[in-house]
Amino acid sequence: MEKYEKLEKVGEGTYGKVYKAQDKATGQLVALKKTRLEMDEEGIPPTALREVSLLQMLSQSVYIVRLLCVEHIDKNGKPLLYLVFEYLDTDLKKFIDSHRRGPNPRPLQPSVIQSFLYQLCKGVAHCHSHGVLHRDLKPQNLLVDKEKGILKIADLGLGRAFTVPLKSYTHEIVTLWYRAPEVLLGTTHYSTAVDMWSVGCIFAEMVRRQALFPGDSELQQLLHIFRLLGTPTEEQWPGVSSLKDWHEYPQWKPQSLARAVPSMDQHGLDLLSKMLQYDPANRISAKAAMNHPYFDSLDRSQF
Amino acid sequence: MDFDLENPLTSYDERRPDSVSSLFVAESEQSLFDSCDFSPSMRQDAVALIFQFASDIDPFVPYLAVNYLDRFLARQPVQGEKPWMVRLLSISCLSLASKMMMIDFSIADFQREKGFIFDAQTIRRMELLILGALEWRMRAVTPFCFLSFFLTFFSPNDPPLIASLKARASEILFKAQTGSKCDETEHKLMMYKPSIIAATALLSASHELFPIQFPSFRDAISSCVYVNKEKLLMCWNLIQVLVIDGCDSAFVMDRSTDTPATVLDRHCSSSESEKTDGRDSKKRRIDDYRGDTFHLPQLIQS
Repeated sequence: MEKYEKLEKVGEGTYGKVYKAQDKATGQLVALKKTRLEMDEEGIPPTALREVSLLQMLSQSVYIVRLLCVEHIDKNGKPLLYLVFEYLDTDLKKFIDSHRRGPNPRPLQPSVIQSFLYQLCKGVAHCHSHGVLHRDLKPQNLLVDKEKGILKIADLGLGRAFTVPLKSYTHEIVTLWYRAPEVLLGTTHYSTAVDMWSVGCIFAEMVRRQALFPGDSELQQLLHIFRLLGTPTEEQWPGVSSLKDWHEYPQWKPQSLARAVPSMDQHGLDLLSKMLQYDPANRISAKAAMNHPYFDSLDRSQF
Repeated sequence: MDFDLENPLTSYDERRPDSVSSLFVAESEQSLFDSCDFSPSMRQDAVALIFQFASDIDPFVPYLAVNYLDRFLARQPVQGEKPWMVRLLSISCLSLASKMMMIDFSIADFQREKGFIFDAQTIRRMELLILGALEWRMRAVTPFCFLSFFLTFFSPNDPPLIASLKARASEILFKAQTGSKCDETEHKLMMYKPSIIAATALLSASHELFPIQFPSFRDAISSCVYVNKEKLLMCWNLIQVLVIDGCDSAFVMDRSTDTPATVLDRHCSSSESEKTDGRDSKKRRIDDYRGDTFHLPQLIQS
């Protein structure tokens, strides 16, 4: 670890602190993430081994933040693992904020939204084809290279296989804004569709420059969704009323999506509505989304 | 997050095209080796130790351990050949492989049994050294990942036939990795892509077990977009040396004009004329092999 000089704390990832650091020899900027993977008498813990190697495999995609290497240090005789990732200077949340506030508020360019959404779908499709769900996609977890117009998925994996954390390691409240309705209603069976719901929310947020469903509790989150999309019915989502956390809710009628995202074009609205389908089985997949006519005006070959 | 040697991507489904292409992409990201200039005798000793250690556990574990060993040796020259170094390397590769595959393998018990005395810290350091050299790419893409995919090219799609083909191909893969008398050639196998090795093993198995189906299976595999025909042929030659007639005299086909290598060669270059020949050539081939194959399946004779 002497190889790196810690520069500043850049965030609290879902699973711990993240530091911006510099490789002393090469000058390369990196993101250092301390893990809670401690080594014991039997050497490397098996879960650490399996998860880090999966992360390594996934990070071969340019749309996933690259894991550069794994470092270990001895702290008071306790060896700790650090993951060293490539460093990108901003994330999508900061990028959207800079277009909303500050000296020059303006909408994101439609071509930038289109390109970012395509890259996001591509990264998500990559994870899904490897059998990995992200489960916590949100603008803070999408790193952006403003100069090159590149978007990469971060904060993948490590312990995610088991539960969606309600509170992070550092007791920061985990945001609910991008959480799929089936997760909020306590489904026991997750599918790739949970990530596509988040992608839809992120898509709308890039256009609106504010969150589509900014709930501050699980119930409020559901009510935000129901007010816009209508209270789900058994017809549109078979089995919804038997989900663990289902209750009787006020009956709202679906509103027009176009009113929530006024500046979105027809193709965009169609794609968004397919990402925000209630029934997870009907929600569009990342792969199918990439072929949607919304992207027809994008030069797909550059990706 | 489990790791399955036949399915490193965790959700691989050979019926889904994007799943298949991910597998081939993953394979291309795992580097191959142009040369393997490490000492064959050291490798041989380490392989022997791994198999000795792991004699009574799932054979995929030592297979994976040898994969780590080969990749480690190809990247990290080991200076000198101290016996303790070979032991430490073998036990650490085995320990990593058993953890990846969630097989309970106690280093302590094992060391007691073999009279080794590496302490936990030493093994941990060696594990980290191996992980670093392999860049934590422990979800190895091996030939086993591709068997199911290439088996979809086999016709008829009859489960017992497919199962016996897969079983024999697996034997060939295990054997090719460890063939004891061929220490000059066996690690050359690392220069081939796992998918090519898998295709070759299946073709060899089909050639032995189901010669009637062999030509159409071979044609189907060689026309697969993921398969480089030339490499397939070269790998076939190597596998024959390693497994079929190289080390084990029971497999020797002593007819110099019709070695398995030339069989594939001839078939690859003359599939046109064969189609017109039809039944006769097939029949001839069965007769050709009746003498030197040990168990021609009954279905061919009936």
